[in-house]
Amino acid sequence: MSATTLPVPFAHLDPWLSFALPSEDARMRRRLAASMDELTGLYRALAGELPAIAAHLDQWSLAELPAEHKPLLYLAMSFMEAAMAVEAFHQPGPPHATTPESMVVFPGRAEELLART
Amino acid sequence: MNSPASPNPRPFASRYPQLGTGPVPVSSAVDPAFFELERERIFRGMWVNLILREEELPNAGDYCVRYLEAQDATVLVVRGDDGKLRAFHNVCTHRGNQVVQEGHGNCKGFQCNFHGWTYDTRGRLAFVTDEQRFHNLDKSALGLPPVHLDTWRGFVFVNLAKRPAQTLEMAMSEFNQDLKPFPFERMVLAGRYRYTVNANWKVTMNAFQESYHGAFVHKLSVGQCISPDDPYLAVQRIKLQENGNHTVSVHLAPHELSPAEKLAFGFGATFTQGGSAAAAYPGTAQGEVRDWGFDLNIIFPYSRINVGAGWYYVDAFWPVAHDKTVYELAYYFPMPQRASEMISQEYSKIVLRDLSREDLATNEATHRALRSGAIRQMMLSDQEIAVRHLYHTVAARCGKETGK
Repeated sequence: MSATTLPVPFAHLDPWLSFALPSEDARMRRRLAASMDELTGLYRALAGELPAIAAHLDQWSLAELPAEHKPLLYLAMSFMEAAMAVEAFHQPGPPHATTPESMVVFPGRAEELLART
Repeated sequence: MNSPASPNPRPFASRYPQLGTGPVPVSSAVDPAFFELERERIFRGMWVNLILREEELPNAGDYCVRYLEAQDATVLVVRGDDGKLRAFHNVCTHRGNQVVQEGHGNCKGFQCNFHGWTYDTRGRLAFVTDEQRFHNLDKSALGLPPVHLDTWRGFVFVNLAKRPAQTLEMAMSEFNQDLKPFPFERMVLAGRYRYTVNANWKVTMNAFQESYHGAFVHKLSVGQCISPDDPYLAVQRIKLQENGNHTVSVHLAPHELSPAEKLAFGFGATFTQGGSAAAAYPGTAQGEVRDWGFDLNIIFPYSRINVGAGWYYVDAFWPVAHDKTVYELAYYFPMPQRASEMISQEYSKIVLRDLSREDLATNEATHRALRSGAIRQMMLSDQEIAVRHLYHTVAARCGKETGK
């Protein structure tokens, strides 16, 4: 599921596509491997757009969200990952935390639904 | 900076005089022999919360496997073709191999990969490879060894004792009134997390049942929820139960929302917003606690069902060895109908995940330091009475004394 472009009204966010990953586990690891420059860039690029992104995606029920719009949702969820880095820690993850290697993130129902439909 | 003067800075100890106020020995957290005692006196006979909802196995043949290191067992939970949920030891009655290797799935039956013996979804031995070469094989007596299974409000528990000393309902004790009305059925799994922690299960768990550490361990992650008027989040309500269960209610200061928090809150309930925006949830202490955030409900010894305004999470501090724990957490929200709700829930999941990672790192550092034997006892504040309660209940069950 590697999209090459975002839906038209948000195509200018294409440079952030590498964060549009379909699982929470992948988004977490992408965030923790990113530089603060990247995360701050992502955060700034999306912060003002999130209401419009949500309104766009909410045209459909989650179960009927067309495949070409899913990367935009994944990107919006990566914004929340970046937000913790930028707003709280000023570094990608908590300064004192267990390693990502010592943990596993399993999908919830909504993530599974998106993977299926 | 200290807490504001309150009429009584130590309100809890006098309500539970049986727990005393003295230091608590460190040995039960670091001694391998004590872990064996816990295994024998507590873990083997307890109702084990599998961090699993009944509705997560809806169809005939849906199964999942749990490794229960503290009980020296692997357990298979499966919904039979008759619709009934059952639990078995995950062990082939031929030569004892583990029958199912995978974590979960759906199947018509289970074939052991050692010699192909096959069991149906009710656990009966259905097929023996090259059966004619065995001597007097009674297949009807060679089904998977059954394990007691019961559910409480949809949560699946098992008990490995031949004859459980008490029912699950008895073990849930006061939660049958206090927690039972919570609308669990309105929510679905939003994410599941499993962490390997190099620390004793009590050291691990004890960081998750007091608020005193918040100003230090979580000052960056949720510092906004801590007010200068109440810098150590002094707990307003703690309710200890006689069997070791207890509830600790956590409050969160009203605060200016960060941009991301504001967006998340605009789309749904969040972990950090507390109950202020929602109607009081049944099965919570929302009505009794100022700026209520959520309730931690500890089911003795090591699992919890924690409830907030519009979400809950279930977790367990699975004891593996005296110095190793697996922390597993499953977070539940209403099924998002629209993308905006899913984005909002993601915010809460990320906050809770980052908080957990902060706590667990501290646990490992604590355990490493305790192992030295340099301190023999720990000092506990009135705010840490749930920590005291756990040490006290474990010691009593193991026939040991804690300090008074």
